[in-house]
Amino acid sequence: MKRTTALVLAVFFLAAVATAGEITLNVQEHVLANGMKILMIPKPGVPRVVCHIYFNVGSINERPGITGIAHVHEHMMFKGTQAMGVTDVEKDSAIDRQIDALMGQIYREKYWKTDGGDKAKITDLQKQVDKLVAEEKAFIIKDDLWTHYMKNGGTGLNASTGEENTGYYVTLPANKVELQMMLESDRLMNAVWREFYSEKDVIMEERRLSENSPGYFFNEQVNAAFYAASPYHWDVIGWMDDLKKMTKADLAQFHDTFYVPNNAVAIYVGDFDPKVLLPLAEKYFGRIPKGPDLEPIRTSEPPQYSEKRLYGEGPAPTSLQMMFHTVPAGHPDAAPLQVLGSIFGSGGGMRGGPRGGGGGGTGRLAKALVEGKQMAVSISASGRSQLYVGAFQFSAQPRADKNVQPEDLEKEIWAEIDKVKKDGVTADELQKIKNRSEAGFIRSLQSASGLASSVGRAELVRGWRSILTDIEAIKKVTSDDIKRVAAKYFAKDNSLTAIYQRKMGR
Amino acid sequence: MKRTLTAVVLLGFVLIGFGFGQAQKPSDLKFPPLTFNPPDPAAYRTVYAGGLRAYVAEDRGLPIVTVSALIHFGGLYVPQDKQGLDTLMSQTLIRGGTKTRDGAAIEERLDFLGGSLSFNVGERTSTLTLSVLSKDLDEGLDLFFDVLRNPAFQEAPLALAKVRQVQGLRQANDQPGSVLSREFDKALYGDGPLTWQATKKTLESITAADLKAVHAKYFYPKNIILTASGDFAKAALKAKVEKRTAGWKSGAASFPVLPKSFPAPEPGVYFIQKAINQGYINIGHLGIEDTNPDYFAVQVMNFILGGGSFTSRITMKVRSDEGLSYNQGSRFTYRWGFPGPFAGYVQTKSSTVGYAISLILAEMNRIRKEPVSDSEMDTALNYYLDSFSSQFEMPQMIMSTFANMEMTGRPMDYYKTYRAKIQAVTKAKVQEVARKYIQPDKAVIMIVGDFDPCNKGGDKWPGPLDKLGKVHRVTLIDPMTGEPAK
Repeated sequence: MKRTTALVLAVFFLAAVATAGEITLNVQEHVLANGMKILMIPKPGVPRVVCHIYFNVGSINERPGITGIAHVHEHMMFKGTQAMGVTDVEKDSAIDRQIDALMGQIYREKYWKTDGGDKAKITDLQKQVDKLVAEEKAFIIKDDLWTHYMKNGGTGLNASTGEENTGYYVTLPANKVELQMMLESDRLMNAVWREFYSEKDVIMEERRLSENSPGYFFNEQVNAAFYAASPYHWDVIGWMDDLKKMTKADLAQFHDTFYVPNNAVAIYVGDFDPKVLLPLAEKYFGRIPKGPDLEPIRTSEPPQYSEKRLYGEGPAPTSLQMMFHTVPAGHPDAAPLQVLGSIFGSGGGMRGGPRGGGGGGTGRLAKALVEGKQMAVSISASGRSQLYVGAFQFSAQPRADKNVQPEDLEKEIWAEIDKVKKDGVTADELQKIKNRSEAGFIRSLQSASGLASSVGRAELVRGWRSILTDIEAIKKVTSDDIKRVAAKYFAKDNSLTAIYQRKMGR
Repeated sequence: MKRTLTAVVLLGFVLIGFGFGQAQKPSDLKFPPLTFNPPDPAAYRTVYAGGLRAYVAEDRGLPIVTVSALIHFGGLYVPQDKQGLDTLMSQTLIRGGTKTRDGAAIEERLDFLGGSLSFNVGERTSTLTLSVLSKDLDEGLDLFFDVLRNPAFQEAPLALAKVRQVQGLRQANDQPGSVLSREFDKALYGDGPLTWQATKKTLESITAADLKAVHAKYFYPKNIILTASGDFAKAALKAKVEKRTAGWKSGAASFPVLPKSFPAPEPGVYFIQKAINQGYINIGHLGIEDTNPDYFAVQVMNFILGGGSFTSRITMKVRSDEGLSYNQGSRFTYRWGFPGPFAGYVQTKSSTVGYAISLILAEMNRIRKEPVSDSEMDTALNYYLDSFSSQFEMPQMIMSTFANMEMTGRPMDYYKTYRAKIQAVTKAKVQEVARKYIQPDKAVIMIVGDFDPCNKGGDKWPGPLDKLGKVHRVTLIDPMTGEPAK
């Protein structure tokens, strides 16, 4: 254990769960000379290793004009490198450059000219592109990286992009982790974005799938209205216009800025020996040059100073949403807000976890409005803090058979908020949330992939130890804390209320 | 730091050409050997007093316990005039309380302990699952067995569950994906116990007495397999379980006979109108049961056709080559006791609906006509062999898999013989099962989408859709009434 910094952190539980004993989360961490972090959690069991890499980049690192590019880039990272996915890199690159040049001309016609450009010219250029695309296929080995993972028994193979981070996932037999290090370090250094234009078509289809989910367009507007200035304003998928018009040069710039080892964490969970794994990580990831330091995003969400209301209708169930701006993760008010979210919206002994909701459940709102007054079919609440922003959110569906309106539920929720502002919450309610957060932590240690995901992502934001300090913070929350945050954040001029009516026909 | 594309290319050459004296391609890597033997069901199986079978794994790493009861009862056993009873039961077995406990109090207590209890009724099996910290195991088991043995289906929670379920019916035709899967099933299985739907009327007719009768008929020790994993000693768990199941009499339920064969639908296009900007498409017919001796060859064949994500032909062609879709492929779904559906699937913008369908049909024909390549076989077989261990990652999942295998009558040496059976699949066998089980000329091509733009098509495949076969326009049922929707 020469080069690793082994950290053993013991968590002691309150008397309420004392016999649960003392749970240890043992993460071995190492920082390479280029700034890349390697985290390792040996977990004996089946001979497999969960291998995840997380980058501190997501849709909040975009700007108007390139919204959706973090996600487009994630797709393009599967399109090959100098070594992978190609039979003759020189010939392939020559064709690819010609395609880019022609597409550049098409975009100038289509998107720079207000009348949509010269149709005949576009058709002619497109024909040339189609011919080159067909020629290039001779040099492309389709989904080479994916195939190598599959034929080596890779499972959980995927990647995902969020507002704040991007992850690349595979689980391999324990003797084949070196394959992941080779392929991932290769695509970090040598990515080539072949088939960029057809992949953008794929992503536009992905966006259409969301659009065809009832209520999507309204929710996209709600989110955009809630975040006026900060880059949480747009969805991860991006606006359709930007998907159409973004270029390969945009992609290269995005890659060079954010896909640097000093912006990445690799995490391994499973049946392996860190003494074997770490030198391999040094060998493959250590060869990547360090990139420039990264500036945090600049625009935080300014105070609203005005109440926002949004009305919509369409093919989804009639509903009410109420949202309030709160604080980013790590702020002292984050824990009381999260606890209050659970007290209001707790999902009961059902699946769903502390942020769950649903109709039944043991939360205050469900007791009062689903069961007591029988005005809602379901109601939930959550107090969620993210990297740069925080939001407290209520969602509810009124009872259609009783002709309850979203506005009726809005009044009831305000009445519940006022009760908390005045009287706080009970000791029992607090203890329940604390017990649940500790039990939830123990449960999260069961799944190797779940552990890789929570520890890896936490490392990017405030360090993996924040998983434990957040539980400690929840344990310290008092009723007075909750009264204080309720008074501070539940204000009309800090809120957005969204009212949606079901109406068929579209 | 203005790195142009050319500069990236040059850098790549430098790294490849004058590398670091290490493996540069996956084929250069040499992996140390690895052996893995799957767990043996017999090592975990036990029978408690009263004939209650169980699969039990001690797992002392974390102070938690999961206990689950797999019950041979599911939605397919519910008569036509009581459709929806299965979902009401899912919602009220716990929530409806027991002879001595209030449902809300059960949930409140488990929630306070940081535990959970959930119940779900599936097609032919139901599952009640408890998860608690090991210090709370006694209390958790008290609640678990009380709910399992003595549910009361109290009036107020049942009434509320019905209201919520009826309101949920309004949304039954909202999601294009769920409309497609429901209507595709109807086309393949016809009108019968496999496709009956709940309506407002059937839901409202269901009483506590109906639920109690179903409970009395199916919930008894010999019709249940228990699974448990976590922080306990096997002997201690046995004592705890037997204490709580003492006096529980076994019954002898007769199960409704389900059809095993179904009239073949007329091939062609089945169109369901919805004003959306994509077509949601299934192309297929009935497949096989997983007890079929050809099962392993079918798995390998479908991996190559459209089941192996990016390494499969449909994904490569429709998504990667043509950029027509985000989600596409083919699947065999397996159901207990009768063949599940086989379907090629895709969602694509309206103008490329016909084109995407034509490409999928072409791939179905190609795998029938031509032998697959050596490298495709290599990838498929190695995937199944090397990913095999991934099915055994969580003890609770393994116990539940064993319980399901026993209940549904699958051979208990399934995992022991799995790799040998995969290795025995040949290219010739792949082609044989493709010819036998994939029949594009008999396929139902079902589309949920906007008819006019889908029918018009696009440059690469101009419509009309009847080029693919006779077009049937399907009218949806109003889920509230069960009558054709207006």
